[in-house]
Amino acid sequence: MLCQFCKKRESTIHVTNVENNKVRAIHICAQCAEERGFDELKKSNFAMTDFVAGLFDSAFAAAEKGISPDSCPNCGTSYSAFQEMGRLGCSQCYEFFQQQLIPLLRSIHGNTRHLGKIPQRFARQVSLRRKARGFQDELELAIQLEQYERAAELRDEIRKLSESERGGGRPCQR
Amino acid sequence: MSTLKALIEKPALWLSSESEESELVLSSRVRIARNLDKRSFTHGASAQVLAEIRDESKAALADCPAIAGALVIDMDEISESDRMLLAERRLISLEMVKNFLHRSLVAVPDEQISIMINEEDHLRIQSFEPGFSLQKAFERIGGLDNEVDARLCYAYSEDLGYLTACPTNVGTGLRVSAMVHLPGLVHNKDIGQVLDGLRNIRLTVRGIYGEGSDIIGNFFQVSNSITLGLSEEDTVKNLEGHIRKVLEFEKKARSVLLKKARSLLEDKIWRAYGILKTARLVTAKEAMSLISAVRLGIGLGIITDCRLSTLNELFIMIQPEHLQKLHERVMKAEERDRARADYIRARLC
Repeated sequence: MLCQFCKKRESTIHVTNVENNKVRAIHICAQCAEERGFDELKKSNFAMTDFVAGLFDSAFAAAEKGISPDSCPNCGTSYSAFQEMGRLGCSQCYEFFQQQLIPLLRSIHGNTRHLGKIPQRFARQVSLRRKARGFQDELELAIQLEQYERAAELRDEIRKLSESERGGGRPCQR
Repeated sequence: MSTLKALIEKPALWLSSESEESELVLSSRVRIARNLDKRSFTHGASAQVLAEIRDESKAALADCPAIAGALVIDMDEISESDRMLLAERRLISLEMVKNFLHRSLVAVPDEQISIMINEEDHLRIQSFEPGFSLQKAFERIGGLDNEVDARLCYAYSEDLGYLTACPTNVGTGLRVSAMVHLPGLVHNKDIGQVLDGLRNIRLTVRGIYGEGSDIIGNFFQVSNSITLGLSEEDTVKNLEGHIRKVLEFEKKARSVLLKKARSLLEDKIWRAYGILKTARLVTAKEAMSLISAVRLGIGLGIITDCRLSTLNELFIMIQPEHLQKLHERVMKAEERDRARADYIRARLC
């Protein structure tokens, strides 16, 4: 994709901004980014909010690491197509683009973990894992407080939970 | 189309009835976004996939007791003006007016619960309540969601929750909003500070007609924007708490206004009422501003012979497609202004 500023070079930095629940993307080449500096970039007609500024770091890191622009194996959507449209192609895209999406989700929601409702087919598995996570937090606290007896109990509880847990949600038979 | 006619014959229940804080809150709305597992999201799906998703969703919804007797309207079977009519009633989005192939609406006749199939997400389930009743709207939608979950395979991940086409909805897929009427805060110029405060805590504020619409008639739609990392119950509770604070500010502003400028306020309200009852030409924008003043008059006990529900119904009925449907013909803007004035006079007499 061509740089939005010089319209000549290939863009290597892609930043996605969320405003009024709309995802918008900016694509810029390294040279333009350097010439303009971040301050200039912030003054561009692309509306910036404070939290988006943090995304520049991850955008640079992604460019340096050369994250593969491969497409989602389920629907064929590429990450640059997502940045262009602001919409993912299918539910599998979340898994495939996880590395790029996590910083974006953190900037949008301030969080990256779902704490809400669970569909029936995942109910048992997710509630066991949430319970185990709670025990794990308590275990760490118990160790800090040197309550070793309680820590041992919690360790046993976590072990029991992980034994009864089977990976993956119930397959969908509907 | 007979199903469409059945739907618009009487006003939606959320407009024609009153509830808690109805003087300050026009309506409460809750919607959830859901998708079917492993299928392309709507915008990139082929016609065949869209058709399959529609068929599967319609079959599942037809089997749900929570919406027994619901009407099903296929968007590709009705005209653009009928789709616009449904958009004016908040039953479908403007996006669905334009992109209508393989899209459908399922709605119960009193319009308290409706489902858009193949909108931005495969299923967009929404519930409306009169006044300030976020909890009630949330509970109703939860029941239907469970019934659909038992019949369809939702796209879900343990870490990210319900997976949606746009990452701004991922997690709970829940958007909770209330339409609040804040003429007191607009008048005393505190509104900017209040809205900034709401935005600072990551709430979204929009105009009466949703995304991208202007603030007219002193109506503001306040909704949550965070859907990941917060449970549904906490999302509803938080928004409820923040809106309750705004309503307290509005009540205070109204009482100060009444104390300091009673005559001026009364004059403004009665003039607005007078214009609505006598005018022969009224634009939609002017009507909204006049209705806003009369609504304030009812809230302050100045006007006692007009019901809030009548004003609420006017919001929907004075829109272009509704006026045209009423007269069964396409009208130019000036004709509509005349029809709007006639309709308002008839309702306020």
